[in-house]
Amino acid sequence: MIFCNHCKVYIRDGKETCPLCGNILSDNNNGVKGEEIYPEIPLTYNRHMVIRILVFISVVAMVVSCTVYKMVPVNVNWPGLVFLGLVSVWLSLINVLRKRHNITKSIMWQVIIVSGLTVFWDWRIGWRGWSLDFAIPILCIAAMLAMYITAKVMKLSARDYISYFLLGGLFGIVPVLFILFDLVNVDLPSVISVAASLVFLSAIIIFHGESIKAELQKRMHI
Amino acid sequence: MNNQKKVEWSKLDNASKYFPATCDEKDPKVFRIACELFEDVEPEILQKALDITIEQFPLYKSVLRRGIFWYYYESSDIRPTVEREDKPVCAPIYRKNEKNLLFRVIYNKKRINIEVFHALSDGTGALWFMMTLLYHYLLIKYKDDFLEKKPELNYNASISQKKDDSFSRYYQGRHYRKQAKTKKENKNPGKVYIIRGTRLEENRIKVIEGTMSAKAVLEEAHKYNTTLTVFLSALLLLSIYKDMPVRKRGNTLVLAVPINLRQFFKSETSSNFFSIMNIPYTFDDGNTELKDVIGKLDESFRKELTEERIYQHLHWLMSFERNPFTRIAPLPLKNLSLRIANAIADLGVTTSISNLGKIKTPPEFDRYIRQFSVIPNVRRPQMAICTYGDRLVINFASPFRETEIQRFFFESLANMGIKIEIASN
Repeated sequence: MIFCNHCKVYIRDGKETCPLCGNILSDNNNGVKGEEIYPEIPLTYNRHMVIRILVFISVVAMVVSCTVYKMVPVNVNWPGLVFLGLVSVWLSLINVLRKRHNITKSIMWQVIIVSGLTVFWDWRIGWRGWSLDFAIPILCIAAMLAMYITAKVMKLSARDYISYFLLGGLFGIVPVLFILFDLVNVDLPSVISVAASLVFLSAIIIFHGESIKAELQKRMHI
Repeated sequence: MNNQKKVEWSKLDNASKYFPATCDEKDPKVFRIACELFEDVEPEILQKALDITIEQFPLYKSVLRRGIFWYYYESSDIRPTVEREDKPVCAPIYRKNEKNLLFRVIYNKKRINIEVFHALSDGTGALWFMMTLLYHYLLIKYKDDFLEKKPELNYNASISQKKDDSFSRYYQGRHYRKQAKTKKENKNPGKVYIIRGTRLEENRIKVIEGTMSAKAVLEEAHKYNTTLTVFLSALLLLSIYKDMPVRKRGNTLVLAVPINLRQFFKSETSSNFFSIMNIPYTFDDGNTELKDVIGKLDESFRKELTEERIYQHLHWLMSFERNPFTRIAPLPLKNLSLRIANAIADLGVTTSISNLGKIKTPPEFDRYIRQFSVIPNVRRPQMAICTYGDRLVINFASPFRETEIQRFFFESLANMGIKIEIASN
């Protein structure tokens, strides 16, 4: 052990400098250097490089579109659309990244986010009703399919997906409101979505009723 | 669709509820217990020992999940594996949306370390896990030495005792409330001093571990007629005082001291069962005589460490949890309020000292184990102490680059003629 003359302590782990006062330890007192006790862990700098690049691209896209719009004005506010597009992409991306360890949950949230975004887009570019007519019902059907496939492919156990299946199924019934309140011009996708959800829901309730009950008890305990 | 095995789940105890809400990158609420052997650790044997140990601590097999109103533990079939130390000390363990075990076992050269997310267990609980792990490790590694007589593990709680939620066991219900109101009597300690510094990169922590003779330090403490904890607390406060800017020297220093409730209420739980007392101290008129500091501290400790005070605190904590309005608040709202409450409480604490006490192993193990050490979860510069045989290990952990307080502290011990061995990361 090397003695630090300033702090009057022995340094156990073979450091070059004293961790207390920062002075360089001199070898003149013939101490034997000990072996390291805490290993040196290198810093991990470039962990989020891909995200940084994406942020940079987004900023550049925004600046370039505004500049071009300023030089060549047209009567469509397309930089606004670029901005909205970027916001949409980022919202979905953040969701996927944060929930990447729970795919069924991620799908569930993705449906909600994308549904909201399509309605917003539809409204911003002059309400033509395509979001309710096609986008949302098709999203619901696709989500149920996707959840089922992930659950099967990844061999998830019932407790991991059942509550999201349930939510997904319930969400798929929402288009019934579009029909009831006459919000849609084209009924077919909504009808299919509602029918598919009913079948889906009945299947999970009949085959996984107990799991659902146990899962709800667990998640809802107060 | 096949039949699923029924999954076990359990509620978090009172103290555990606080940690998942308030952990973040800066303070991941992870602490470490390390055991240094005389020989290098053999990972394969350690893994075998871990495989046996985990079966005896079912709670350690669980993952933390979020419900609508509360967090809960869910049993998992993840097999814990021993890892070589390749992450910074006390790196985050619990991450939202990830299903991971709430502890890790790492080794490096002669050391076996377990790092535990505080929601799973407190120091004492984790120490029991460590002891069991060590027991199996040493028994496999040196099986020839133990052919005749197997040493006895001195922790023999049943599985249900280990899982016990002792907070709710000793909560007497709401009718106690009238007396508990006296909690408020605490006078306002005035402006509390907060230690500032430059944070280390990646929110790492600086650990300075000082090992010394327990006997020598106890002798010093006995000169002042006091206990080890009070003696070291006094030195800690003095070291902070020396480092304080002059304009702030009138501020109060508040020392947070975790109390192991197992000493007061019978419990063998390996999950959380502790409480924290806050001891305010002001250096009025700049009196830095160690004797006087110890005298004043001793008195405050004595006042706080009565069974009544401790029960009041436990009741106070539990009544929050049992409040119907708290119970039906959705989890994100609870998290937000806990985080705010925690941020406010943080402004009222200067440092903390936590003494795990004397660690006892079967006497046959003495020739394999050199020492233990404990690294607390770090919110601010703080200290954790434990003793094994004659080796007293004081770990000073800090999120800051500066080491002035640590230097003052160890210097003052060295000046008493105590030989100190320092290790650091």
